[in-house]
Amino acid sequence: MEPEQRFTPLPRHLQFRIGLTLGLALMLAIGFIGYVLYARGFFQATQALTLVAENAQGVSIGDDVSFAGFPVGTVKRISLGEDGRARIDVEVPLKDARWLRASSVFTLERGLFGGASIKAYTGNLRDAPLPGGAVRPVLRGDTSEEIPRLVASVRGILDNVDQLTSTGGNLQAGIANLRVVTERAAGKQGAVGALLGEEEAHKLVNTLERTNALLSSLNELVDRAGGLVTKTEQRVLSPGGVLDGTEQAVVQVNAILGDVRDMLKRADGVLADAEQVSGNAKAATKDLAALRSEVDANVRKISGLIDEINRKWPFERKNDIRLP
Amino acid sequence: MNTPQALLNWLRAWGRAGRFALVGGAAVLSPSSYTPISRSVSVKQIYFTAYQVLPAYVFFATLLGLVVAHITVAVMRSFGLTQYALELVFRALVLEVAPILTALFVALRSGAAISTEIALMQVSGELEEMRRRSIDPFEREFVPRIVGVAFAMASLTILGSALMLLLAYVAMYGILPWGFEAYTRAIALVFDPLAIAGFALKCFVFGILVAMIPIAAGLDATREIKSAPVAVMGGMVRLFSALAFVEIMSLAVKYA
Repeated sequence: MEPEQRFTPLPRHLQFRIGLTLGLALMLAIGFIGYVLYARGFFQATQALTLVAENAQGVSIGDDVSFAGFPVGTVKRISLGEDGRARIDVEVPLKDARWLRASSVFTLERGLFGGASIKAYTGNLRDAPLPGGAVRPVLRGDTSEEIPRLVASVRGILDNVDQLTSTGGNLQAGIANLRVVTERAAGKQGAVGALLGEEEAHKLVNTLERTNALLSSLNELVDRAGGLVTKTEQRVLSPGGVLDGTEQAVVQVNAILGDVRDMLKRADGVLADAEQVSGNAKAATKDLAALRSEVDANVRKISGLIDEINRKWPFERKNDIRLP
Repeated sequence: MNTPQALLNWLRAWGRAGRFALVGGAAVLSPSSYTPISRSVSVKQIYFTAYQVLPAYVFFATLLGLVVAHITVAVMRSFGLTQYALELVFRALVLEVAPILTALFVALRSGAAISTEIALMQVSGELEEMRRRSIDPFEREFVPRIVGVAFAMASLTILGSALMLLLAYVAMYGILPWGFEAYTRAIALVFDPLAIAGFALKCFVFGILVAMIPIAAGLDATREIKSAPVAVMGGMVRLFSALAFVEIMSLAVKYA
């Protein structure tokens, strides 16, 4: 059997299909190479950008530089510069370069796992565009580096809290002081004592007591004056008698009584003020001083008035007024 | 048969395969091997090795690619590592699985057949006859088969890889075009010139192994009919170990 005769070639249409299969494979291979070239930016113009970092750990060639979560550049080269800082050379396709401006900030973040990610932030997209070949510093945020730092600061905070809450700590002392204040507020002089201190509260209480006494003696005086008036009505009512002067005096007394009432109201106000924890102790003391001086002035006026009454009053010779 | 003898036989078999590869390579490279008949045999070989198996191969590659890509993407998604899913699929499925899958497919489908055919030629004395008639068996029988298997391997690997690239896209983004940019970036990341060159080299070595070892094993047969199964079996074992060795070496070079 001759090999030449034994051999039967394939029919034409099958040969054609085999050619088609091989051609398809060839075209796929060429197409894929072209696609890879396109993917790797072979056909697009790029501009260079160099990022300078303290530490380029985790960055690898081919990493993306992302803007708003979209990659706008690719790391092409990482080298250690003369100044001991890492230089990350990035290629930015020109069509994406518009996202990067002269004022853009670059950060290098490293998660717990996976590589580092370089991100660009542009605050103002109307700034001047980033020039080609620009060199920019990159801020580094490293989770795995941050954790020890974070733990250290948390420990510091815990120490502080510990100090605050320990016996003899600031918080304890503060609470002790607060307790003294509340005790004083609950004590004899109440909130006033707590606010003004013992001495001032004492003075205030004294003043109030004196005012009360003064009022009671004024009452007495007015009663007496009333009695005298009824008793001597007729004599007094005589025209050209003492009545004219006395009327004036009574009006004055009324005015003074009004003053005193006002004053007491104000004292009430002062008390209310004092009771308010938020009240200003200083203002209260100032008010008290003014009040005291007014009380003094009124007392002086009253004694002057009584002197005058006594002068005009023919049958009463006692010319002093007892003050509390 | 004691162990040193077995070892010696094993080494001899490898030596014969290596020698055949050298001679076969030289024959493939010499233009005189390419006659109209040898071209015709080559086309026939491609028909058997690539065209006939194409539907089964495409089905198998699609099934495997779909399952592996889908599992990878789903797992990566559940771990929140979606950005690495495509890279992983490319590296595992396209760069590693597609070539070895093709090599195994061709070895099973055609390697065994070629080995048996050559062994039977040896048994029947057909090759002897050829040599007696001063027809070079390399030119007439071996080179067309080597070339045919090599072409078939190349085209099947390319088709399978392209299919798996497509499946990776579908598994990741569905059949919508919106993932194209991200996909392109992943392609750019994985397929650097070195990776492509390594891939091509690996496929080339696979092609040589799948084309050469079965023929060399077939030549191990003698005029005894019982020697044929032994020769074919030895050849297939050698082929699988060689493929595994190359794959492991390529992984070691790439990732170790």
